[in-house]
Amino acid sequence: MRNFNTKHIIKVAIFNILIINIYCTKEIHVQYQVNSAYIYESKAQKFKNKNEAEYISILYTGLYQKAIDPMELFQAQSVLYSIGDQNVAKEMLLSGYFNNPKIIIPSNAEMRNDIPSFITETYKRFYLRYPSEAEKVYFTNYIKNNPEVTVELIYTSFSTSDEYSFY
Amino acid sequence: MRRKEFIKKSTLTVGAGIVAPYILPSGRLFAKSGIEKAEHVVMVMFAGGVRQQESILGRYLEDSQGVSGVAGNIMPNLFNGNAPTKKIVYGQDIPGQTRGSDPIPRLLSDALANKGMTFNEVRAQSAGHYVGLNTLLTGSISTAQGLKTRPLSPTIFEYLRKHRGFKATDCWFVGNGIGNSTPLLNASTNENYGLNFGANMFIPPITFGSYGQNTLSNSKAYSNNELKPMYEMKNFLNNSFALENSRQTTIKNTDDERTHIKEFMRATYTKQSLGQISMPPAVSSTDAFNVAYSAEILKEFKPRMLAVNISEVDGCHSNFTGYLRSLHRADHITAWLYDYIQNNIPEMKDNTVFIVAPECGRNLNPNPILDENDWMAFDHSDANSLRVWSLMVGKNVPKVSVGSEGNPIGRLTDLVPTIADIFGVYDDVMNSGYIDPMAMSQFLRV
Repeated sequence: MRNFNTKHIIKVAIFNILIINIYCTKEIHVQYQVNSAYIYESKAQKFKNKNEAEYISILYTGLYQKAIDPMELFQAQSVLYSIGDQNVAKEMLLSGYFNNPKIIIPSNAEMRNDIPSFITETYKRFYLRYPSEAEKVYFTNYIKNNPEVTVELIYTSFSTSDEYSFY
Repeated sequence: MRRKEFIKKSTLTVGAGIVAPYILPSGRLFAKSGIEKAEHVVMVMFAGGVRQQESILGRYLEDSQGVSGVAGNIMPNLFNGNAPTKKIVYGQDIPGQTRGSDPIPRLLSDALANKGMTFNEVRAQSAGHYVGLNTLLTGSISTAQGLKTRPLSPTIFEYLRKHRGFKATDCWFVGNGIGNSTPLLNASTNENYGLNFGANMFIPPITFGSYGQNTLSNSKAYSNNELKPMYEMKNFLNNSFALENSRQTTIKNTDDERTHIKEFMRATYTKQSLGQISMPPAVSSTDAFNVAYSAEILKEFKPRMLAVNISEVDGCHSNFTGYLRSLHRADHITAWLYDYIQNNIPEMKDNTVFIVAPECGRNLNPNPILDENDWMAFDHSDANSLRVWSLMVGKNVPKVSVGSEGNPIGRLTDLVPTIADIFGVYDDVMNSGYIDPMAMSQFLRV
């Protein structure tokens, strides 16, 4: 039978404690949440220009409620870069997005049922701010007086406007 | 109000109402200087660093590879001279024969050099591509010009839009790729000109290539009735945001011009899918693609000024045989574009000045890279890289050949003053303060 002396037992115990300390760590529970969106108080706070990738990603996510595929993003970004008038490029891009049935936008009936709420939501959706009184009045009257105006056209005007290109 | 005073004020008001719409963006009522020589200018920025020796001097392999008895002209549409008779590798491939042994047949009945003004030996202001392209478009020496930034000096498009009152769709830049600074060449950052006066631009290999097809060909065609309210709402939003000129990020067309461009793009995607885009007969390269879509733009918009950049000759950094082939093809597609204008665009035929010039030359001595024929390649950095030529043909262009190897005449910065001269705004452009002080119109050099 093998004899264990006290010294040997202490060495083994210290070794085990070290092993346990090195390899066993307390499990950290990570919980991801969505940050609150920052609402601009005024359009004057927007001074940085979105680059092509930012513009397309934000637009795509806003219209389809999912992230754009990286290859699709790269192609769209290159195409935007290849056209001199960015308004032309963006209007073409957007009309292509509207041609896709997977787009998630309110119906025209929903818009006309509650125009004030639609206007507020549209400003928040595209500009991350509330509309001013003048803006509310303009769009309320414009939608009421022009029955041919659709959600698609309003979304196109917002997402190709100057303000949408800035943050 | 007394009768006399009433008549005076009402006359002034009516007069101002008639005159106001014709005030140029520069603030002047009419363009100041001279008579317009032609209504259109097309400039081919040719083709990515071209040695005098293999182009205008027609030396083929003699001044590059140490081979004697093999001189000859491989650019028969642009220059005079017999083709080489030995070691032919720059042509088309024929199965079973040496690669490139069949030269592309000459497209034009007479070389462009015989039809107009040839500057045989011109000084380039830079041995690099981007500064060279800047020089061609700005008429400035561009020594402080950085990469991946817009030109610091105004481009010819901005001069023409500001001083000649051209609209955005009158001016086009057609680039060959989105790398480096190419897609920034349609407008400068100059505070007195800039994006508000910039040109429209397409980069056809991207805009009308597979990326463009995948991204934009599915776009909806809205009717004008649908677009009108969209533009009205957008204009309200833009007026409300009131973006200052210094923060503009794009050139701007009018609503009608935007609609026109979008219709053109949709029609072009359709033509493309049906295989109806006219292409140079013997070449299917990226440069040929670029030139073919330039022709589509010319046919649709009849622009006053279009500049197209081609660049495949730059393969000379590592492949001399490829360089010869590209040079031969660049000659072919440039001639095709000239011919297309003459035969397919009656509004521009006999009313266009056609300009061709390289942005820089290439070195006298080779680098050590050998190609498939054991021929050495050439970079561009020495004094030989500052040797180039220019060709100009068309309405009111005299038939003359000036300068020679030992007698250089003119500078690449001359081309912007020359175009300004063609459109009758020479003084405005020369007095802007941004043009190379040694530059002048080529019409004044002969």
